[in-house]
Amino acid sequence: MIKFSNVSLIYPHSTKTIIEDLTFSIQEGEMVLVMGETGSGKSSLLRLINGLVPHHTGGILAGDISVDGISTREVKPGSLAHIVGIVGQNPLNGFVADIVEEELAFGMEALNFPHDVMRKRVEEVLDLLGLNGVRHRSIATLSGGEQQRVAIGAALVMHPKVLVLDEPTSALDPIAAEEVLSLLHRLVHDLSVTVVIAEHRLERVIQFVDRIIYIEGNGETAIGPAEEVLRTAQLVPPIIRLARALNLSEVGTSVREVRRLTEDIRAQTFEATEQIAASSDVVIEVDELTISYGNHRALKGVSTKICAGEIVAVMGRNGAGKSSLLQAIVGSQLATKGSVRVHQKDPALLKGAERRRSIGYVPQEPSDLLYAQSVRAECAQADRDNEIAEGSTFAFLSRLVPHISEETHPNDLSEGQRLALVLSIVLSGNPELLVLDEPTRGLDYQAKNLFALALKEYASTFNRPVILATHDVELVAELAHRVLFLAEGDIVADGSTLDVLLSSPAFAPQVAKVMSPKPWLTVSDVVQALEQQP
Amino acid sequence: MKRSLHPLTMWIWALLLITAVVLTDRAWVALGAIGVATVLVKARSDGSPWGRSYWIALRIGAVILVIRAVVGVLIGVPIPGRILFTVPIIDLPSWMPGIRLGGAVTLERLSSSLHEGLIIATVIALFGAATSLTSPHKVLRTLPFFIYEIGITLVIATSLFPQLAQSARRIRLAQQLRGHEKVSWRGLALPLLEESLSRSLQLAASMDSRGFGVSRKRSRYRPEKWQISDSAVVALTLLVSSALVLA
Repeated sequence: MIKFSNVSLIYPHSTKTIIEDLTFSIQEGEMVLVMGETGSGKSSLLRLINGLVPHHTGGILAGDISVDGISTREVKPGSLAHIVGIVGQNPLNGFVADIVEEELAFGMEALNFPHDVMRKRVEEVLDLLGLNGVRHRSIATLSGGEQQRVAIGAALVMHPKVLVLDEPTSALDPIAAEEVLSLLHRLVHDLSVTVVIAEHRLERVIQFVDRIIYIEGNGETAIGPAEEVLRTAQLVPPIIRLARALNLSEVGTSVREVRRLTEDIRAQTFEATEQIAASSDVVIEVDELTISYGNHRALKGVSTKICAGEIVAVMGRNGAGKSSLLQAIVGSQLATKGSVRVHQKDPALLKGAERRRSIGYVPQEPSDLLYAQSVRAECAQADRDNEIAEGSTFAFLSRLVPHISEETHPNDLSEGQRLALVLSIVLSGNPELLVLDEPTRGLDYQAKNLFALALKEYASTFNRPVILATHDVELVAELAHRVLFLAEGDIVADGSTLDVLLSSPAFAPQVAKVMSPKPWLTVSDVVQALEQQP
Repeated sequence: MKRSLHPLTMWIWALLLITAVVLTDRAWVALGAIGVATVLVKARSDGSPWGRSYWIALRIGAVILVIRAVVGVLIGVPIPGRILFTVPIIDLPSWMPGIRLGGAVTLERLSSSLHEGLIIATVIALFGAATSLTSPHKVLRTLPFFIYEIGITLVIATSLFPQLAQSARRIRLAQQLRGHEKVSWRGLALPLLEESLSRSLQLAASMDSRGFGVSRKRSRYRPEKWQISDSAVVALTLLVSSALVLA
């Protein structure tokens, strides 16, 4: 279906080849995962399939790519629209119409499909994706999962033979992600659609894919069945790390397989590990907090206390009120009722240097904080702002991500590097509390590990609290001491990470699923428990 | 879902009202038009991002009203009448005859400036109302193919505006939380520019890969039909506007 022969790609004004001499072919009805570090060229590879690269972006392409027998060299992406459906990283930016139905029909209108065919196909897709209830709604008012399904639907109405998706679940909560992925699984099996997908959160997709294309940092590419590639890969999901740590004979990609391989471990009895008691030094006090936007109540009388040294994860579906709670704590959103106190002070009244010293905030789009022309200028600004020795911010940054050039423009940094830069700037004010809104979107496992280490260090050395909103259960399992679970503006669960994550199967991390009913969340939990065993 | 009118109806409605307001040149007509527009927007808004453009237009109108009033009072030709207060006159070089800065402010001068400001503000508000009531995207969809190409460029350009305002708010907030109380223009413009550029590139890529512009002909999923209710709205507006102009 898709054939790459000796494909190399280089962008103009760049010294690094994105893809070098890549040859592979994908059969009809295969589901293939493209993985690699951030900035390794996954998106470029996906966009090569329908010719967006280089027709749309520029770049020098060598070799040949053909899809269903048509060479992308000879036709523009539009002429492949009925063969390749592509869903971008952020579907909201690719929507052309405002109403769901019209968005679905757009591609068919452009290709001048007859009216009755369009009506039939739109109905089909609405049913297939369960979007019938929202067909007349404005797309902007839909939830993230629904928007993602509309984007997939808009590609599916064309009856494409190939569906290409760039990180389709990165903005979704675990349940919505599961929905999207099982939908893709069904398309592959029922309709024999070829699916090519790029994703960082391997734990979400790994069980569904047939083969993996692994773009390694050095320009090398490995292609093969999932188990084979993952056996040697650098970036691997927890389930593979578990298999490696336990020296299992085989590598399994699904929970079911690995459970079979680890039966003997679960059969042993272990002493319960003691949970470390949290300090009782209250830093943040949220009391009966209600926040309304017009008629919509985002938070309904939420109360909680957050203590020094705690790392608290705020979880919940898209639109459950996570961001509202965070914004109230940093003081950018005023409470409609109730109050928030940080060190007995109202965070909304903080200004300038006092704010930098009190609350460090990393927004959902870290680049919102950046405006200087180089990393050096950004760091210098932070040094000046906080009256610390020149170069300290950059020194901290280099410790987080070594080999970063001072002259780089912040836009040219990879996602992980940019997050590290913002984190260094925020931490240069030595804030008494750190708040992060979905910090790990688009980060690979290595970047995520570095980031988790930095946060742990901050929380433990200074004994200060960290609050982060996230959908990433694996990160929460590694990092957080406590989880606040929000639904519809209420706190529905508040307890230690272990208790909250184990109590709901949808939010359980991979290791917990494999090791259930043992109370382990991460690979290191398992290893530790086994080491303590005589 | 509310019964929808033809996308062009509300635009014709707005243009007719604008003509009436400009031609009659009376404050009460202008105020009446704003009143009607406000009621309509309130009643028919469907929560789409475009729905808010009327309120933004009203705000822009208010700013223009104030600027026009201040400029009208400070600069320009004096109109005789009841003197309200006097601003000191600033001497201008002799090569700028006929222009005066400051001087006596009469009631007549103030009211004529306010009046002009109001008419301009109303025109802007009515355009805002039309945008609020039917998304420009729908209007563009009714255009014939040969203008459609230009139309789609406009779609990209205009669809950025509501999002731009949102992003600007988000960025300013983030920077205030970094402790920069006064967000500089540079601090706001650079991230904003970067974001809108990447957004329009993504939108263009999405349209490209969905076959936009491949076929010379375009079919319509939901053909917009001109209905009796559309004719009724247009006829009624035409009647009212001409009555106002002729009266």
